[in-house]
Amino acid sequence: MNTNPDDTTLALWLDDELEGDELSRVEAWAAEHPEQLAAREEVRRWRRMISASIPAAEEPPAAEFFNERIQHAIRESTHASGHAHRIARTWSHLWMPLAACAGMVLAFWLGMSTHQKTVEITNHGNPDATLPNLYTPLQGVEAESFTSASAAATVIVLTGIDAIPDSVDFSATAASQRWREIDSTAGNAPTAEP
Amino acid sequence: MKTIACLIIGTLLAIDARAQQDPGKAVVGEVEVRVYFATNSEPADTGVKAAAVPEDEATRLRKEERLRFAHYRLLGEDHQALYRSYENWAEPLKPSDEVMVRFEAQSEPIAGSALLDLELWLARKKTIKTDARLEEGKPLLVLGPEWRGGRLIIAVSFTRAKGTQP
Repeated sequence: MNTNPDDTTLALWLDDELEGDELSRVEAWAAEHPEQLAAREEVRRWRRMISASIPAAEEPPAAEFFNERIQHAIRESTHASGHAHRIARTWSHLWMPLAACAGMVLAFWLGMSTHQKTVEITNHGNPDATLPNLYTPLQGVEAESFTSASAAATVIVLTGIDAIPDSVDFSATAASQRWREIDSTAGNAPTAEP
Repeated sequence: MKTIACLIIGTLLAIDARAQQDPGKAVVGEVEVRVYFATNSEPADTGVKAAAVPEDEATRLRKEERLRFAHYRLLGEDHQALYRSYENWAEPLKPSDEVMVRFEAQSEPIAGSALLDLELWLARKKTIKTDARLEEGKPLLVLGPEWRGGRLIIAVSFTRAKGTQP
């Protein structure tokens, strides 16, 4: 039966990490191998030496020091970003008036362009600026306007408009009522046609 | 009880005073809308019983070839205030709403002339929308729909408000 420990087990034994039955088995094996016992003793000696020269645990830095380091880091970061911000703000101070001027010029140019287009549309087909602009929302209805010097009036002629049914009666209007009153009065005939 | 009545009356008076102070309701002129029936047939044959228009108006209409008819009858008329910044409506054939005119001043009338936003509604449908400039004594004449063998002519005139500069 092979009782030699494997390398991993032997390393753990050298570091005093083994426990229980496994430790007993390796200890029994090491009793017959004095060089292994000497090696373990050497490892233990080195461990003691290291423990004596290096503290078991490094003391944490004082709270004031720790906070000061954090604040210092923050100041450094703020200083760097503030510098960058100052540079950007300096540029923005230069660019903002220029951008505003450029915007005003662009808006003025667009306004002029739009106005010119509007005038073109408004006067399209309407060379006489005194004539009204017409819009006929109904489908098929058209309107033509012109100035009638003879009638001293602006005239709009509608075409395509539905006729009013003959059944519609306007005899109830105020003008018709007035005519009836005149008509019913003896000797007061309506205005004669020329 | 008296206190409540006083409060209500006071509130109403305050509202009325505020309405009167609204400069937009200032009357800056008057718009007159007349509807003529123009026909080449005998008016009696058409069944239309309305007064013939005054001679000067008939002469003006006949001077324009497109508006030339043998007979003209005045079917109806309406006079309405032109407000500084509110629209108003004229219904010359009231109680019928067959012809209606909506108008609104685009600017304050000057020198006997008014630029109006004007709409002609026929048979309860918006038929024309226009921005006519009306001058006193120079009406806008619209040769409108056919009716009983003739045509309706809608005349829209502007008169400046009393007390304003001519």
